[in-house]
Amino acid sequence: MSDDVMISLDHVSKRYRGQKVPAVENVSMTIHRGEIVVLVGPSGCGKTTTMKMINRLIEPSSGRITLDGADVTSLNPTELRRRIGYVIQQGGLFPHMSVATNIGMVPRMLGWDRRRIDARVDELLDLVGLEPGQFRNRLPQQLSGGQQQRVGVARALAADPPVMLMDEPFGATDPLTREHLQNEFLRLQEKLQKTIVFVTHDFDEAIKMGSRIAVLGERSRIRQFDTPERLLAAPADETVAQFIGAGASLKQLNLRRVGSIAYDEAHLVTSQESPAAVLRHLDESGDWAVLTVDGERRPLRWVGPRDLRPERDTLDGVGIPAPTVEPRATLRDALDAMLTCGCGAAVVVDDAGRYRGVLGIDRLMRAITEMRETERSRDRGVAEASYYRPPMPRTLAAPAQRGGAR
Amino acid sequence: MTATAHRGRTAAAALTPPSRWRTLLRSHWAMPVVLAVTLLATYLWIRSRQLDDIERRSLNADALMRMLGEHLRLTALTTVVVVTVAVGTGILLTRPALRWIAPAATALANIGQATPAIGLLVLLSIWLGIGSTTALIGLVAYALLPVLQNTIVGLNQVDRKLVEAGRGIGMSPLAVLTRVELPLALPVILAGIRTALVLAVGVATLATFINAGGLGELIVTGIKLQRAPVLVCGAILTAALALLLDWLGGVIADLFRPRGLG
Repeated sequence: MSDDVMISLDHVSKRYRGQKVPAVENVSMTIHRGEIVVLVGPSGCGKTTTMKMINRLIEPSSGRITLDGADVTSLNPTELRRRIGYVIQQGGLFPHMSVATNIGMVPRMLGWDRRRIDARVDELLDLVGLEPGQFRNRLPQQLSGGQQQRVGVARALAADPPVMLMDEPFGATDPLTREHLQNEFLRLQEKLQKTIVFVTHDFDEAIKMGSRIAVLGERSRIRQFDTPERLLAAPADETVAQFIGAGASLKQLNLRRVGSIAYDEAHLVTSQESPAAVLRHLDESGDWAVLTVDGERRPLRWVGPRDLRPERDTLDGVGIPAPTVEPRATLRDALDAMLTCGCGAAVVVDDAGRYRGVLGIDRLMRAITEMRETERSRDRGVAEASYYRPPMPRTLAAPAQRGGAR
Repeated sequence: MTATAHRGRTAAAALTPPSRWRTLLRSHWAMPVVLAVTLLATYLWIRSRQLDDIERRSLNADALMRMLGEHLRLTALTTVVVVTVAVGTGILLTRPALRWIAPAATALANIGQATPAIGLLVLLSIWLGIGSTTALIGLVAYALLPVLQNTIVGLNQVDRKLVEAGRGIGMSPLAVLTRVELPLALPVILAGIRTALVLAVGVATLATFINAGGLGELIVTGIKLQRAPVLVCGAILTAALALLLDWLGGVIADLFRPRGLG
């Protein structure tokens, strides 16, 4: 167990001079290797302060924080921070430095030679999905918000730290970009297995990103610290329940992944197919549409009977663009995609954007109904005992255990 | 599709360096031309006149070069001392530990500038005796404020988030200062230095009152002996020098403006 602990906070408080109430009061939690712990709570609740005490951007007034078994206050702050990646809103990129200089900053401080830094920069740009040749020499202002955020993540990963702190990293991007960045980051995390502390005020984001979620109240008091599933199923008290919001079952849309539902199959055709043949297929099969794909089996458009003009030779540019989701996208993302295009089906694609199946609105509705029924039957059962279940023992942070094994 | 292609092109254009020199030339060509024309006109005017003995003693190449040299030397020394002292102090006064002293320090520098320059020089000469060292000290006291204030303002206006990001990713305090704070504050600091430089050129004309030479000699001689050509020549040379240095400051500021800002 103790080997597994990466970060532990032990009765940590922060008092600012001249303020009666502490900003953070008596917080204890342990964070395990490789998990994403999300600190979520209303703005001003001290979640960012709590996070910044881990890399000592803010010094705790009392209590103890350990990183991989070592008390952080015993380490040189600069050395400590080089072992902890740090990502903030909009990336926090230095505007007067190129993308490459931004990313290579920490490796340069660590005294790497030029060649090694260049190679690392290119590797990281690849990793976050930016083409090195195209982006290396750009300035931050020449990037979109989403691209800046990716560079911010790349910079945090530069020296391959085991731990990352992320402060509302996707907060300043539009919903579509945010969803994309979230999925991409989850994919990255599958590979990297970093220990991550993630701060957000968006509960839906917390449910999507977190292995475990700490719902914080005033002064960063931990109201509940649990997995997203259990948090939704059994909020510890009224405040948490309120924070989760009405319709916890609908919130589960943020939790269940597209990959957890069986897909349907669509009839695939290339754009070169003749409209007449498609019409014949639609008549015979009773399908509502066929899906056109390119040579790599990447989905293009849905083509229904009404889109077909018999006088044309091919299906080039015919139909409505097909929205796509990745298996690790949430059902909420899939629903959004369907609503945006108005076509009641999202195409599931793999990392390379190739067709894997179709998620229809019917299946999605069935999944929602199931979730709601489970919730209803659970609520009935719970109501007989007491409405809210007490938090699980595991959720209360145990005092830091650091065995002699280390 | 066309949108991305377009963005790619503008980005590429902004990255090509030669355009920088062209913009520089385009926005800074006028001042040298104006100065050259003015100086030429003054020269022709002086040449066209019959100069008397007194005038000839001041308006000859040797004397003019000596006075110009003294003036430049005084100005340059002032600038070097001011930049070292004021930028250094400004940096110290924006460190978290010393930030609270900043208002007091600016107030002190304000006294230096609020005192009439000639009064300051005379007071100093009573205390330190006459000569170029005293003039230098007076000029430094006078020109310190703009640089100090702009250094403080320039460093304080750097986005706190960037400073924290720098610390957060593991840059040492010195690295945050030299790689993030100073480069981003540079335009404001340079503007302060430019102001100080122009002030120094102007106030250095007063150095002649405490026997420290400079172009002020021409002006004072012109007034005392009622020789208009001498007076005008001194005034025009001083003004031209001030404008020339201001122009140079502008060019340097443009040259060192950090990329990626606006």
